[in-house]
Amino acid sequence: MKRFVLFLFVVVLLSMIMFVFEVPVFGVDSCVCFCQTPLDRQELLCGQLAGAGRCVSELSSSPVRILNLHRNRFAIRMEDDFFWALGCSVEVPTVSVCELLDQLINLFCFYNGSVRHSYQLNSQETLASRWAQYLSHLQSGSSELQHIFSGLKTIDSTNVDPLLLLKAALILQACQRCPLVLAGCILFRGRVVSTQMSPQLTMKVMVHESETYTKPQRPNGQSSSFGSAVSSTNVFLTPSELQYLQSTPVDKDFSSHSTPHRNTPLKKTRLSRTLSDTPSSTESSDPGSSQSPQKLLSPHLSESSVYSSDPSQSTPNPPPPQPLEPPLSNGKHSPEEESLEESYYHSFHSNGEGGSQIDNGGDSSAFGENSHLHGGGVDGACGEEFNFREAEESHDNKVSEEVSGRGCGRVQGHEVERPDPPRSDAFEHPGESPLIPMTLYLHRVKGLVLALLAHLRSVSPGVPGAPGPYIFAHFDCIQSTLTLCCCVCVCSQPVWSTGGAPERPFVRATSLLHSHFCNTETLQEAIIRSAGAAVYGTRSVAQETYFQQHGGSLRNSGIPNHQDSAFSLPGKARHRLLKHGVNLL
Amino acid sequence: MKCLLISSQSAEVLFHWTDPEFYQNVQSQYGASQEDGHGLPAFEDSISTLFAPIIISCITMVDRLGDSYTSFTTENNHIYVLHQFDECLYIAVNGDGEEEEGDLRRKIYVMKKMIEVMFGMVTLSSNLLRRELRPQDTEQRARLWEHLQSLLETYSHLRENDQSFLVEAVERLIHPTLCEQCIEFLERRLVQQLNSSVERAGEEVLHAFILVHTKLLAFYSSRNASTLSTSDLLALIIMSQNMYPSNTDQDDPNPEDIESTSGSGPESFYTPEPSPTDMDSRSSDMPVRESTPLFEFVDPDVQMAEDSLHTLEVPPPDPSTPRRVFLEVSLKDGLFPMMPHSMYCLPLWPGITLVLLTKIPTSAVAMSVYTFLEAFAKLEKRLNEGQEGSAATRGQPTIHDIRSKLDKFIKALGASEIQSAQLQNVWTDFKNRIGRGGPGFNRELIRSCKNMKTQLCGVYRQCFLIESGTADSPRRLSPGLQERAQTMVQDKLMDWKDFLLVKSKRNITMDFPGLIHFICVDRSTGQMIAPSLNITERNVSELGKGPLAQFIKSKVWSLVSTTRRYLQKGYSTVTLRDGDFYFCYFLWFENETGYKLEAGDIPVLPDDSAPIGMLAWDYYRKLLRYYSKNHQGEVVKCYELLTVHLGVIPTEVILQHCRQLASKLWEPSRNPLL
Repeated sequence: MKRFVLFLFVVVLLSMIMFVFEVPVFGVDSCVCFCQTPLDRQELLCGQLAGAGRCVSELSSSPVRILNLHRNRFAIRMEDDFFWALGCSVEVPTVSVCELLDQLINLFCFYNGSVRHSYQLNSQETLASRWAQYLSHLQSGSSELQHIFSGLKTIDSTNVDPLLLLKAALILQACQRCPLVLAGCILFRGRVVSTQMSPQLTMKVMVHESETYTKPQRPNGQSSSFGSAVSSTNVFLTPSELQYLQSTPVDKDFSSHSTPHRNTPLKKTRLSRTLSDTPSSTESSDPGSSQSPQKLLSPHLSESSVYSSDPSQSTPNPPPPQPLEPPLSNGKHSPEEESLEESYYHSFHSNGEGGSQIDNGGDSSAFGENSHLHGGGVDGACGEEFNFREAEESHDNKVSEEVSGRGCGRVQGHEVERPDPPRSDAFEHPGESPLIPMTLYLHRVKGLVLALLAHLRSVSPGVPGAPGPYIFAHFDCIQSTLTLCCCVCVCSQPVWSTGGAPERPFVRATSLLHSHFCNTETLQEAIIRSAGAAVYGTRSVAQETYFQQHGGSLRNSGIPNHQDSAFSLPGKARHRLLKHGVNLL
Repeated sequence: MKCLLISSQSAEVLFHWTDPEFYQNVQSQYGASQEDGHGLPAFEDSISTLFAPIIISCITMVDRLGDSYTSFTTENNHIYVLHQFDECLYIAVNGDGEEEEGDLRRKIYVMKKMIEVMFGMVTLSSNLLRRELRPQDTEQRARLWEHLQSLLETYSHLRENDQSFLVEAVERLIHPTLCEQCIEFLERRLVQQLNSSVERAGEEVLHAFILVHTKLLAFYSSRNASTLSTSDLLALIIMSQNMYPSNTDQDDPNPEDIESTSGSGPESFYTPEPSPTDMDSRSSDMPVRESTPLFEFVDPDVQMAEDSLHTLEVPPPDPSTPRRVFLEVSLKDGLFPMMPHSMYCLPLWPGITLVLLTKIPTSAVAMSVYTFLEAFAKLEKRLNEGQEGSAATRGQPTIHDIRSKLDKFIKALGASEIQSAQLQNVWTDFKNRIGRGGPGFNRELIRSCKNMKTQLCGVYRQCFLIESGTADSPRRLSPGLQERAQTMVQDKLMDWKDFLLVKSKRNITMDFPGLIHFICVDRSTGQMIAPSLNITERNVSELGKGPLAQFIKSKVWSLVSTTRRYLQKGYSTVTLRDGDFYFCYFLWFENETGYKLEAGDIPVLPDDSAPIGMLAWDYYRKLLRYYSKNHQGEVVKCYELLTVHLGVIPTEVILQHCRQLASKLWEPSRNPLL
């Protein structure tokens, strides 16, 4: 029997060279690898790292966490007979690579259950490709700064009609009224519009979203049969994640339904109803499935009435505890909103057929970008609309600040009441721990994806920053979101990852300061200056913000001088960032 | 939980030092061997068994991947730092959270520096160094290791408690009049008298300095001496502190003081103890290990364990025997590292020491050896790079240039008592080989080069490391002469000594409201100024005493390591708001007239680069050279300022303080001391 005690990832993060390989117990089985470096090099590295790591952990009676070479840095996780190593360039802060490794392992467990179990059930090749998938997802399109913070990508709320955000929140709330739905999120092209889940969980859910775009057929064949617009897959929650979801205020009203066991009878009835017209490929995949909540969730979710935004349809359920403002919920729908409903109906009524058409169309496009599912036309429309908003920025800013402030406040209000969300550093024992199976349901309409664990989030396009002579990065620690703005160049994500641009010094400074903030609890703000750039960093419990001013004379002697422009950075940051909705006071 | 280990490529332990906790940890993993009684060999075996897999893995990685481990961190925050110098692998471990990765790397580099100061160019031959560090004779080995362990402990103690070793710059006593008088005294009276005495046995005093604890009172270099580098001076201070530890922090903390930190209580002033009249106390040369209060032995098991390390105690050597030290010499015709000197460390009173550095009569041999070694090393490098033998030998300096010199050198050696037959053979072999060519020629020649280097190092070892001279006429300043020097300086300083001891604790005072502490360093001269941070009961510093002072001290220490991390990444200005404090760090350049030069690029170094400082590796010398490239023909000076302010002070005011400090601090001390 193949039993892996050790597998090792080596990933060169910044250059995006990835190779994954796994070493079986005592080297009995052959290594699987797909990589750009010679096999023996990997085998060697694998064996040496694991061996030396084992030896050090014995000396110190504690697992190794970080291992540095001259040219690479590895985050290590050792547990039972498992050994993970995630390598990256030495420029990536230690905290970040450790976090990334934890995320990766958690992600694997989320979709595959316990590691040991998965390795007993599946071939090395299959699992290797899954690891690769998760890894590439975690790295996909992200800037160096995202590697540092590993935050969620969200829409820029200052550039979105606040009504949309509110709508999104309402949809999610409506969905949650269904007792089987734990939580949901709405995503838009890899960005979060609205979510009821913890950032960590949202991040996990997003993998499936992007994955199903790129590969309509999931490798483990668990995905579903609702057509390409609707899909479901088995996922696994950790006990703490489940507890967190179950303790949301909304669920409290239905607490009797929220645990999987109590749901069982209800589930069954719904199951029989909805499965009648959908082929159930999920049935066979999991022997214990009749008990599993996801079984119940998926059919339930396929009922449009539950989360339709039409108020008349949602009335059967009691309203959520928070009073909603009628003008907003009943007001004019934004175009996205309407199209969401419309296509929702479409997909619901025509079910598999309509979906497959879309799917076929998508297959013809070269790469599995989101766009192929809804076609360029729609894309363009969205883009235009957002551009249009941008032009009206000054007006919108006020409104959006006001409304999103309220909207977010409400969403965050939930979070405050919840127990601490499970952090990625909360060690969940990926090898063995009891994981609770669930079903993740996804419904996509023109780039918008409703994911229910149920969960919904909505998202908007990239971050078009207002032109200005400064760069900033704002990390919201609570929501785990990163806002970037490099205002000199018209900014799109790739600029950040090129590495040669004027952002390079900013990235380096931010990376150093972030590490420093992580290691020094009492540190509140810092200014650091090299010959080329001065960067201001400040943090509070809820946020970390980094700011660099371009231009202006940096000529100085380095001798202390209160007229030195570097020391006016805090004031400038406060002033400038207010425009972006970031309050540093 | 601390440990430092040096290992050869074959995983043979060349040196180890552990603190009692680590020692116990290792012993507990080999419980059985603890009981059978022979402490040292058993412990050495267990430590080598435990580390062997890591060492072997390290060497495999270098061989096969050209990369190797620089550090490990475990989940319970044990840190392992690894660094390879030639064929010696250094591993430093911390498991008690008291040291960061940077501290461990620094410790490794400092250990290497101390070994260089002690063994000179023998360190250039891994083979010889291995034998030197691990003598066959177990008694000799125990004695050597104990000495190295003690040096390491002294260094660690200084780094943790002394600001000048924190920032790695020499601190001077600020008293211009007295300093000048002393320098004049050293020059006109002491050195002149010593160098004109017949009892000096061919040695010549080059440098003389007086230390009050670790602070420099006066330093004099004779006219034909080269400058003593800061790195060497700091290493010598460690050695002298190791021989005569300052008891500055030995005072028992008074429990009452811990309560009276509010500052309202009566301030106690330092009253020096009457100096001991018993002059015999100065004649003990061996380090008094117990007087460095690094550990408190509470656990009897630990006590026993520690004792077993020292079962092979040997009688201390003759106190009048100087230490052989190898120091850098810069002459007109170049820089010569690791030139042999003798170091005489003469205690005047507890805490006050006179140090004499002499040039030994045969030191010219060392220069020749270095020239030859350099030529062979360069040739070997060219051959390794793949140059053809004939082409490689034409590089600078050419083998033909040194050929006749080396012939003459070997001939001269033949006439002396130095065994040079082997060198003669290898040289003849080399000369025969170089004329040839053909396949495998390069490889053969490389081996020949290595052989020559080993032989040259061997000759150097015979000349400078083995005690020479006969028993009746040892080559050194006679004990009588040493004693006379001691008495002369004692007479000179008799009236000042109490003042000096107090002064060394309260060197300067501050009068900037809100300013809590500062350190100012002149990196061009390697000197620093800072208010005292002594935190023991008797030595009240500007900050008072007790927990608050201890807290500030820990803040200052962490600030230094933080700013070094930023400097390593190219940042020369750093301000931090941390808790109730505001920290500033500035590094800037000036020309000789005090004109502030524009801030330039500072190289960005990798995480595992040599530690930033001046003791083990002179970062600032490199930095100055780098910066001066754009300032040809100008003398560039480099300064650093660190400040700690209360966080409530407006930033404006803080920056003004910094400015004033930066411009005023060096004014009273501009007179040349070094």
